Amino acid sequence: MRTSSAAGATVYVALLVLAGCAGREMLPEPLARAGLPSQVELRHAPFFPQRDHQCGPAALATILVAADVPLRPDELVAEVFVPDRRGSLQAELVAATRSRDRLPYLVSPDLSSLIAQVAAGRPVLVLQKTGAGPWPGWHYAVLVGYDLARDMLLLRSGTEPRLEIRMPQFLATWDRAGRWALTALEPGSMPAAADYARYMEAAAGLEAVGRNEAAALAYEAAARYWPGEALPQLGLANLAYAQGDLAGAERGYRAAIDRERGDAVARNNRATVLLRMGCPAAADREIDAAAILAADGPHTAAVAATRREIGSTGVVDGPGCPPDAAPAHSGS
Amino acid sequence: MSRRFVVHLVCLALLNLGSPLVAQAGMIGTLQAVEATTRAQDLAAVNAALAREQVRAQLAALGVDRAQVESRVAALTDSELRGLAGRIADAPAGGDALAVIGVVFLVLLILEAVGVIDIFKKFP
Repeated sequence: MRTSSAAGATVYVALLVLAGCAGREMLPEPLARAGLPSQVELRHAPFFPQRDHQCGPAALATILVAADVPLRPDELVAEVFVPDRRGSLQAELVAATRSRDRLPYLVSPDLSSLIAQVAAGRPVLVLQKTGAGPWPGWHYAVLVGYDLARDMLLLRSGTEPRLEIRMPQFLATWDRAGRWALTALEPGSMPAAADYARYMEAAAGLEAVGRNEAAALAYEAAARYWPGEALPQLGLANLAYAQGDLAGAERGYRAAIDRERGDAVARNNRATVLLRMGCPAAADREIDAAAILAADGPHTAAVAATRREIGSTGVVDGPGCPPDAAPAHSGS
Repeated sequence: MSRRFVVHLVCLALLNLGSPLVAQAGMIGTLQAVEATTRAQDLAAVNAALAREQVRAQLAALGVDRAQVESRVAALTDSELRGLAGRIADAPAGGDALAVIGVVFLVLLILEAVGVIDIFKKFP
């Protein structure tokens, strides 16, 4: 009696689950279809069948080759495979993309943005979570096509060169993996539906690991695409300073300040450059402005360090010092 | 003993510190500026150095060739290192799509246990 009621309950639950699956044919999120071709397949994105647990190197090779980096998955294993995890970490896929001088752009977490990349000709590496409970499974695949009329996506996945998957089914696995998606950009080019913060974080990552030429191309592209924003100017100025180009760096920081007068970072760095240029009085005025703006923020310590450095020198500017940057508050 | 070790570690880490670019004391790197605008960045540089040490040790412990550990750690940014430190053993590591088999097996096992199906007894 007890067994049969338990069996009944199990069957009931199983039916509910099945019904739930069948009922999810509707896309759970609106899809921006306007202006996109109704069907795309990126035939130029190569397929590398994965070997034991190495979908990371295989998927990464697909997007890198599509971004004009000639390589094979084997060359990536030593960089991105973690033997005892039998898999690859997201951060290391990003790092290996940077090491090839490609900008690792993390696509906005919605299906429309994924499809927009594919429509623009770029395959997208996606993380999927399969399995359940004590058996989680993580898998990398590459989105290489879609068909809007049929709500289908096309993946290079594992040993499948052309895996067709219904959008709701894909969304379920992608959603559980945190909607993580990576595309590799040749530096200087822009992703479809470019997001400023995501793009700048990727560009600054190139600079942070010393890929300066790629970072410069990325900042220049950002400066053209978002001409009113300060960060691309700051990035270019930091690169100029790293090369010892003080005058270029000073102009760059001033350009950043023109766009964002409350930019404590640009003012702090400009003060350092002014000091090196033999303009301690101008540096003194700039670091005063930076100190007020940086109060209690994340850069307070750096600004205080600059302040101390300037404080110990003279107060008379040499010849040929640049004009002051715009004041912190317009009208003051 | 352990305190001395930590002090030495921090000293070493501080010596190794610094982005390859903006090395002066008060200069602020672009990534730091970006992160300050995208999320609160309250972790000091010392944390990044310790995170680097942790990631280095964990990668080696998980079977990464020691000759490669150094270059792999060097390719990560400070914020990526902070995100990975202490979590490499359970962070998502994409490998196979096969784990779904585990779920099918589990369902079969439950159905078997409650007597709905009877397949496993055929394999004594």
